[in-house]
Amino acid sequence: MKEILRVEDLNVTYQTKSKSIYAVRNAAFTINQGDSMGVVGESGSGKSTLAMAVLRLHDEKYTEITGRAVFDEDRDLISMSQTDMDELRWKEISVVFQRAMNSLSPVHRIRQQVEDIYRIHEPKASREEIRERMISLLKLVNLPERVYDLYPHEMSGGMLQRTAIAISLLHNPKLIVFDEATTALDVVTQGQILKEIVEMEKTLNMTRIMITHDMSVVAESCNKIAVMYAGELLETGMVKDIFKKPCHPYTQGLIKSFPALKGGHHGKLTSIPGNLPDLSVSCKGCIFADRCDRAEKKCFEEKPSYKAMQNGRNVACHFAEEM
Amino acid sequence: MSEKPYVSVENISKWYPYKGDKLINHEKKFIKANDDINLSIQKGEILGVIGESGCGKSTLGKLLTRLETPTAGDCLINGVSTKELIKNDMKAFRRSVQIIFQNPFDTFTPRDTIEQILLRPLKNHNIGNSKEERRKLCIERLEEGGLVPGEDIMKRYPHELSGGQLQRISIIRAMLLDPEFIVADEPVSMLDVSVRAEIINMLLDLAKLHNTAVMFISHDIALTRYISDNIAVMYLGKVVEYGKADEVVNNPGHPYTKALISNCASIDPDDEREEISITGEPPTPLDPGPGCYFAPRCFMACEKCLKEYPDKKNLSDTHWITCMNAE
Ligand SMILES: Nc1ncnc2c1ncn2[C@@H]1O[C@H](COP(=O)(O)OP(=O)(O)O)[C@@H](O)[C@H]1O
Ligand SMILES: Nc1ncnc2c1ncn2[C@@H]1O[C@H](COP(=O)(O)OP(=O)(O)O)[C@@H](O)[C@H]1O
Ligand code: SF4
Ligand SMILES: [Mg+2]
Ligand SMILES: [Mg+2]
Repeated sequence: MKEILRVEDLNVTYQTKSKSIYAVRNAAFTINQGDSMGVVGESGSGKSTLAMAVLRLHDEKYTEITGRAVFDEDRDLISMSQTDMDELRWKEISVVFQRAMNSLSPVHRIRQQVEDIYRIHEPKASREEIRERMISLLKLVNLPERVYDLYPHEMSGGMLQRTAIAISLLHNPKLIVFDEATTALDVVTQGQILKEIVEMEKTLNMTRIMITHDMSVVAESCNKIAVMYAGELLETGMVKDIFKKPCHPYTQGLIKSFPALKGGHHGKLTSIPGNLPDLSVSCKGCIFADRCDRAEKKCFEEKPSYKAMQNGRNVACHFAEEM
Repeated sequence: MSEKPYVSVENISKWYPYKGDKLINHEKKFIKANDDINLSIQKGEILGVIGESGCGKSTLGKLLTRLETPTAGDCLINGVSTKELIKNDMKAFRRSVQIIFQNPFDTFTPRDTIEQILLRPLKNHNIGNSKEERRKLCIERLEEGGLVPGEDIMKRYPHELSGGQLQRISIIRAMLLDPEFIVADEPVSMLDVSVRAEIINMLLDLAKLHNTAVMFISHDIALTRYISDNIAVMYLGKVVEYGKADEVVNNPGHPYTKALISNCASIDPDDEREEISITGEPPTPLDPGPGCYFAPRCFMACEKCLKEYPDKKNLSDTHWITCMNAE
């Protein structure tokens, strides 16, 4: 299997006037071609920070990034120059954010924006060629041709989001990152877009990182999952394993805070009491200890290392095997 | 259901005049945010209202709490028109009927402390004999709601609290007045999943304790099924399906509900759902009809669907849809 992204010991620190915020710490995971990995966790846990580091979108004056993110087996995204990164953007890696309207210019038709983006990498491409490409992509996301000639304000939220997804596919990138890209959409629109994406991936053999706070979106559209908490990946592995039997107390808590759609009620809905810790202070023990209902003395004193379990699962908990 | 309903929604409609290009044929057009809705809620019952954004859920909540005046129809509480109730004793009505909104940061004046926020309505409604007694009650309720120490929370300003804490306070404030009917309009949509359950459970416990009738508005179908006794499904200002929560989600009857459930993401990979796709998104309810409002997007639609609005059809004693083709 071909590796598309291998992240090793990735750390991201924001330098603010008064303090350093350790927003991502020692992150590690591998995504192979055709994988779709969901990154979940409550807001503020560092999901976007992680994605932006890999995409090199941070303002690097105020952000310190260490570690490696090896793309396509040979290029380290973290140490490469911005110029080299620009070569990859749109072409090999693209990203879709929650509010597509913010990344589309309101004063230009979709057509003009698509032409500009396309020509970054194919300066000689003709209008007809670009049009043809975009219209085939619009079809993939179930949009009519006429969208090509519209202004963003003439479209609904769902249409805009689909358009942004189509644009991200213009150059057939090897990796797409969705950062809460379907979060603001209605149930039906989100459901249909997820199905379209999953279908498309099968055809195009695409690889996807899906950042979301919604576990059900991961269950529905991903084969891998990384559970993030306060800057750390607490559990990573296959969706089918982890949803069946989560081994980290935080993952267990997250799953229990979502009611199932059908079937029996799985008992009283539970939450995870407490708040995210302050990311500017370092923590001696397990980062989750003060909210964990399984925590013992050891948890507060000693940081759990990653336990490698079946099917490539990694769990950062002293008691992972006992869960 | 032989019991007389506690809240009774009778043919309620809210039409907003359309301000766009209305002068085609000089005809006045309307956005039918709510159109001829009939529902009922018993004391102690939780009625879930689901549907995509723009289908009229919030409008319905505002009509029932009389924050908006219906264009036609009425909502009765205990058999008395809310129009009368509010005319006769506005204060009593505002006390017995409460609404909780989605964004807790919009709910409170940022300049007031939590103490001022909680004490004001108590004083207005003459609950408690002295300021001390009222403070004590507030602190008690805060602490019951997990906001400890209550003394300390009382001194804070809204921006010094998290969204989850503030939303708990808005529920506590609503419940301090012992309301008999509560509309909760997407009360947890803006909150992190990790705190949702706390807030939902708090609302459920308080409502149960006081035997309150609750209308729970949400676009989250799994959550709504989890907490509701009954569910009403709305589409373009109409209720298209109503029934017991499990009935509606496990055996949806209306093609729209079927599509809705089929496209809803589920946490349980074993949840089986029919594959149903619908195209497009709900249009604005601008002069919909004359046929079934869902017909243009419906996979079961026939000629007749485009011409006549379907009658109510009972699927069981407790479950109905408005569709002429679904069984
Ligand atoms: N530019 C920044 N400067 C300082 N802190 C930041 C910046 N961006 C994000 N943070 C902080 O980093 C943490 C992680 O944020 P983020 O990656 O946005 O989380 P998520 O996407 O999981 O909600 C949060 O505590 C956030 O406040
Ligand atoms: N004050 C208003 N004036 C005109 N149209 C309105 C007004 N309030 C709501 N609407 C319209 O009524 C419809 C229903 O809105 P709403 O009740 O907010 O739906 P929901 O809460 O289900 O998203 C929408 O099409 C909305 O644009
Ligand atoms: S290491 Fe301890 S505190 Fe951390 S998750 Fe495991 S049991 Fe909980
Ligand atoms: Mg984010
Ligand atoms: Mg609403």
